[in-house]
Amino acid sequence: MISDIVAQYTTPEASLGFGSEALPSQRGFLSGDVAHQFNSLAFDLPRTQDPVDFLHTYTDVKSAEDNLIKLAHGTTTLAFKYASGVVVATDSRATQGSVISSQSVKKVIEINPYLLGTMAGGAADCAFWERELGRRCRLYELRNKERISVAAASKLLANMVYSYKGMGLSMGTMISGWDKTGPNLFYVDNDGLRLKGDLFSVGSGATYAYGVLDSGYNHELSKADAIELGKRSIYHATHRDAYSGGSVRVFHINESGWEFISLTDVDDLHWEYTDQARAP
Amino acid sequence: MVGKNCVAIASDTRLGAQAMTVDMNFPKIFPMTDHTMIGLAGLATDVLTLRDQFKYKVKMYHLKEDRVMAPRTLAHVVSSTLYEKRFGPYFVEPIVAGLDPRTHEPFICCTDTIGCIDFAKDFVVVGNATENLYGMCEGLWEPNLEPEDLFETISQALLNAVDRNALAGWGAVVHVITPERVITRNLKARCD
Amino acid sequence: MDMLATNPAVHPTSTAKQAAFSPYADHGGTNLAIAGADYCILASDTRQSSGYNINTRFAPKTFKLSDKSVLATAGCQPDCNMVVTRVKHSMKGYKYTHNKEMSTPAIAQMLSIMLYQKRFFPYYDFNILGGLDEEGKGCVFCYDAVGSYERVPCNAYGSASALIQPFLDNQVRNKNQQGKEKVTEFDPVARLSIDEAMRIVKDAFTSATERDIYTGDFLQIFIVTSAGVEEQLHPLKRD
Repeated sequence: MISDIVAQYTTPEASLGFGSEALPSQRGFLSGDVAHQFNSLAFDLPRTQDPVDFLHTYTDVKSAEDNLIKLAHGTTTLAFKYASGVVVATDSRATQGSVISSQSVKKVIEINPYLLGTMAGGAADCAFWERELGRRCRLYELRNKERISVAAASKLLANMVYSYKGMGLSMGTMISGWDKTGPNLFYVDNDGLRLKGDLFSVGSGATYAYGVLDSGYNHELSKADAIELGKRSIYHATHRDAYSGGSVRVFHINESGWEFISLTDVDDLHWEYTDQARAP
Repeated sequence: MVGKNCVAIASDTRLGAQAMTVDMNFPKIFPMTDHTMIGLAGLATDVLTLRDQFKYKVKMYHLKEDRVMAPRTLAHVVSSTLYEKRFGPYFVEPIVAGLDPRTHEPFICCTDTIGCIDFAKDFVVVGNATENLYGMCEGLWEPNLEPEDLFETISQALLNAVDRNALAGWGAVVHVITPERVITRNLKARCD
Repeated sequence: MDMLATNPAVHPTSTAKQAAFSPYADHGGTNLAIAGADYCILASDTRQSSGYNINTRFAPKTFKLSDKSVLATAGCQPDCNMVVTRVKHSMKGYKYTHNKEMSTPAIAQMLSIMLYQKRFFPYYDFNILGGLDEEGKGCVFCYDAVGSYERVPCNAYGSASALIQPFLDNQVRNKNQQGKEKVTEFDPVARLSIDEAMRIVKDAFTSATERDIYTGDFLQIFIVTSAGVEEQLHPLKRD
């Protein structure tokens, strides 16, 4: 019974080849079951000689100042592995050019109860592909009757975006979670790069965050200290970097899955830290 | 911003190099006479140069003419100073705000980088977050505000406008100029 | 001149020129939405313009989707139109398949995927979806052109968004107002009565019309409550 349902949402092996996901669907949107409209990953392409060039003319994720279509951007995220788990912390600002389009973006994406992804670069790219990753991880679980490892999940994502390499996707994400081997952390970006590591920070404020993170990082940190370090690193990045800000969102991962820790407005945090520094 | 027998001038205090915030306490508004202030938004080095130049000109006027320069006069000094550099302009947009030294009539104006004066009866905005500021001012400003109300209005307009602009904020300073005195207040603002 | 004479390849008429493929136009206009505890207000002006010309003074760009949801679009009119058509079509399909109306949060997710399917050839269209959620609370979802979306208490999109958005932050979300309750993302609804919200909406548009040349003519307001969708039309400045 369940396998029937799984099969319904499985793409035939033959079409799962390298780069196959870029093929546009044969099915027009006016035909077929409505649910199936969204079942296949088919993207419309402009009918020009060079669709990528077209896209760059009208949308540019790197410098969205003069372009017609301004895409929402994400910006300081970090995650690090330590003795008792993984800390994931992000800011919550989205900017379109110099305009702040939102101060309350959720840049931590809950893929499933054991997996978290972060969002930097194009917000839509991260949100869409990590949702799709969530779907594939669920199918993996149903087929294999066990949870997917973080390594496998991150590789799924890397392979998905690799097939669109050079098409203009923008994504810098950290996939973190807990599996049979313990805590795991991978960096995946839109070029298809996938790195395993203990400590990453991604986004325009990453350099500032690294500064604080590296100076305070220690594998044997207590949970409270680790969370505080994550929070402080993001705060300092939001302080110096114009394109980061809003609130600091912190998640923690241990063997029982991820746990939401806190969401603190940077404004409150700023005065708290300033007062701390003043105290004798 | 113009009120009843008073004017207010406000700015944020950020100095940045693109995305990086370098200074969070960089003054952009400078007193010129007892009742006139000038706000300079733009390239920091030009801001400082022009501040000194205008101060010099205002003082020389005072010595030569033995009277205080009126804000309207200062506006034209600003305009001609900027237009002298028509083909290699200063990257600065100034605001002049003040009360006439004799009649205490409120006066505000702004110019573009080459000195085209824009006189206004309600409010003028320059710099980074102009669109946001226009929206806020259009929504909040009303005629004949008393100094305290004018302070609240200009503060709310500025704070909420810079909160929607990534490149402005990190603190704010407000001056309300009344015939009797100048009220200066530093505002806490979001520091992200 | 010598070069042109000796090298025919650089002569202006000797090489074929390809006109740039330019499928987008900005038709201006502004949308605004506020979600309340048991209502949702969507408002948009009706001016449609191309450059400095006004195409028409009455081109509605906000559409009722069901008794519980309304979609506001701004950007390139043909793209907006296509999005609305597709959403309505899919909602019908959903209704015929499942025998119930699509909820507003469900439409929100569907619209996101629909926009993302055009990731490499985006719709030039900035949407706000508003209505009531399954619990009857007001909800507003705002989108970028390729489907990144978020639930917010209030939002302004379109040519005057930069003018209106800080005003909404201040008046609806109580930002920078000491002693007033902040509207956070944990409960993204405005603490305002419908009348107060309507006053803010009208204020925002009269202010925006003063400074934005692409906003004006008429203000169309949709009020979504459990009783259904009420539509109002108010005049704005026509200059």
